[in-house]
Amino acid sequence: MTSRERVLAHLAGRPVDRLPLMPITMMFACAQVGARYRDYCTDYRVLVEGQIRTAEAFGFDYVNTMSDPAREAADCGATVEYFDHQPVAIVEDQALLADKTKLAALKIPDPLGGGRMHNGIKALALYRERVGQDKIIEGWIEGPIAEAADLRGINTLMMDFFDDPVFVRDLFAFIVELELRFAGEQIKAGADLIGVGDAAASLVGPQLYDEFVWPYEKQLVDGIHALGGRVRLHICGNTRRILEGLGKLGCEVVDLDSLAPIEEARQKMGPDAVLLGNLNPVAVLRNGDPAGVTAAIAECHRQAGPRFIVGAGCEVPRDTPAANLRALCSYAHGHRP
Amino acid sequence: MPDLKKLYDSVVSGDAKTTQAITQQALAEGVDPLKLVNEHMVPAMDEVGRRFEANEYFVPELLISARAMKAALELIRPLLVARGDKPVGRVAIGTVKGDLHDIGKNLVASLLEGGGFEVIDLGVNVSPEKFIETVNTKQANIVAMSALLTTTMPSMKTTIDALKAAGVRNKVKVLIGGAPITQKYADEIGADGYSENAVGAVALAKKSVAPA
Repeated sequence: MTSRERVLAHLAGRPVDRLPLMPITMMFACAQVGARYRDYCTDYRVLVEGQIRTAEAFGFDYVNTMSDPAREAADCGATVEYFDHQPVAIVEDQALLADKTKLAALKIPDPLGGGRMHNGIKALALYRERVGQDKIIEGWIEGPIAEAADLRGINTLMMDFFDDPVFVRDLFAFIVELELRFAGEQIKAGADLIGVGDAAASLVGPQLYDEFVWPYEKQLVDGIHALGGRVRLHICGNTRRILEGLGKLGCEVVDLDSLAPIEEARQKMGPDAVLLGNLNPVAVLRNGDPAGVTAAIAECHRQAGPRFIVGAGCEVPRDTPAANLRALCSYAHGHRP
Repeated sequence: MPDLKKLYDSVVSGDAKTTQAITQQALAEGVDPLKLVNEHMVPAMDEVGRRFEANEYFVPELLISARAMKAALELIRPLLVARGDKPVGRVAIGTVKGDLHDIGKNLVASLLEGGGFEVIDLGVNVSPEKFIETVNTKQANIVAMSALLTTTMPSMKTTIDALKAAGVRNKVKVLIGGAPITQKYADEIGADGYSENAVGAVALAKKSVAPA
C-alpha cells in the first residue's frame, strides 16, 4: 500500500495495513534541511524539500504546506513580521482591521496573485510532481476565528463578540469566502486534504463557539467538500468544551491537541469520526523518552479505537529528539488500526 | 450613596460603563478609593478568576471584566498615587524576546491589576535590557515573563542571567509561564516561580511579595 492509498482507504473505512502517520511538522521539518525558518515560510522549494526529507526519514504518510498563520493576512495587506528562526507573525498593534470600517472595502486577494498564498499553492504543485503518487498532499487554510484574530487583532476580537456581534459575523463571512477561494486553488493544484487551523476557537467557550464560530466553520467545511476536498481540522489548545460541536462539522479528520482527552472526543463524536493525536508535544514528545512516547501514543490509540491516525497533539517541536519522534512513528508502522 | 454591590456586579459582568459611572459617583460622594478597590473590585476580579478556572468564563469574558475594572482604576489610581498609597507589588510583565503571543500575558496582567498590583505591561518581544530598565526605573519587584514557543523559551534564561549581570536579580522575584513551560524548566533556569494558569500566577505573585 502506498501512503496515499493507506490514508484514503482509512478515511473511507476500508482495511489498511497499518495506522496512518500524520504528525504536524513545520520548524522540525525546516531543521531537517538546515534552512532558516524565514526561507521555509517564504520559499516554497525549501518548504517542500523539508517536508519530503522529513516524511521520507521518518515514514510519514503525508506532506503539508503549513508554515505560519499569516499567509492570507499578509496577502490582505496586514502588517507582518518575518524572523530568521521563527514563524512569520502578525503585528497586532497595527492590525489591518483595527478600524472596523475597513472591512467594507477589503477585497479578497487573488490566491494566484504572486503573494504568500500563491507560494503555498506552488508548493502543492511541486509536491504533486515529486510525491503525488505516494504521499497524501495536505494544503492549509486558516479557519474563521483564527483569520479574524489575524486581521482584527486577537485581543480586540475577543471583546468584539460582546461589543459588536454584527461585525464579527460580517468578518467571519468575508473570511469564509476568502478561505474557500484559497482552498479551491489548493485542491486544483493537488491537495488531497485541506488542513484547517482555527486555534482561537479554543479560547471562547462553548456558548460563543456554538453561536458564532461553528456556523462559519460548518460553511467552510461544506464549501471545501463542494469543491471536492477533504478536511483535517486542527484547533490548538483546550477544545474539551466544544468537542460535540467539532464532531458535527463533518470533517474527515479531527486533529486534537493534548488538552482534550481523546476518550472524551470519542464519546462525544461517535464511533466513526477519525481522530488524530494527541500526546503532549512538549512534555512527552520533546522532553520525554522513547518509552514514554510509545506508552503515550498507545494509550491515545486505545482511547480512540480503530478510527485513529497517529500524530502529536500539535506541532512537533523543532528540537524534539529524533529517537522520540521515531518511537511515535514506529508505533504507527507496527500497529493496525 | 451608590449601591456598591452593583460595582462588584458590573465588573464581574464586564459592564465598563456602569463600573465607571458607579466609581465616579462613589468617589464624588467621598468613598475611600482604596475601599472601592479592596472591598469591591479585587473580590470582583477574584470571582472572575474563579469563574475562568471553573470554565464558566473564557478569554472574552475575562477581557471585558478586566476592561471594566481598568475603567474604574483610571479614576482611582491618581487618587491613590496622590496620597502615597502603595500597591501590593509592582510587576514588570511581558512576553520574552522573540515572542509576539500575548493573550496569556494579557490575562495575567489583568488579573494582577485586579489583585491590587501595579502592572507595568512591557508588551511583546521584550528584551532583557527592557526588563532591567523597568526594575531600575519603576522599582518593579516582580518580573513576570511568558513564552508560547519552545524556540523563545531560552530568552527566559537569558533574561534571568542578564538580571544577575546587572546586579538586580536579588531585588526581584522572577515568575514565568506559557504553554511549553514547566516547573522543571523554571527550576533549571533559576526562576522563583511558575504557574500553569493565570489565576495561579496571581496567587504566586501575592506569595512572592508577602513578608517572610
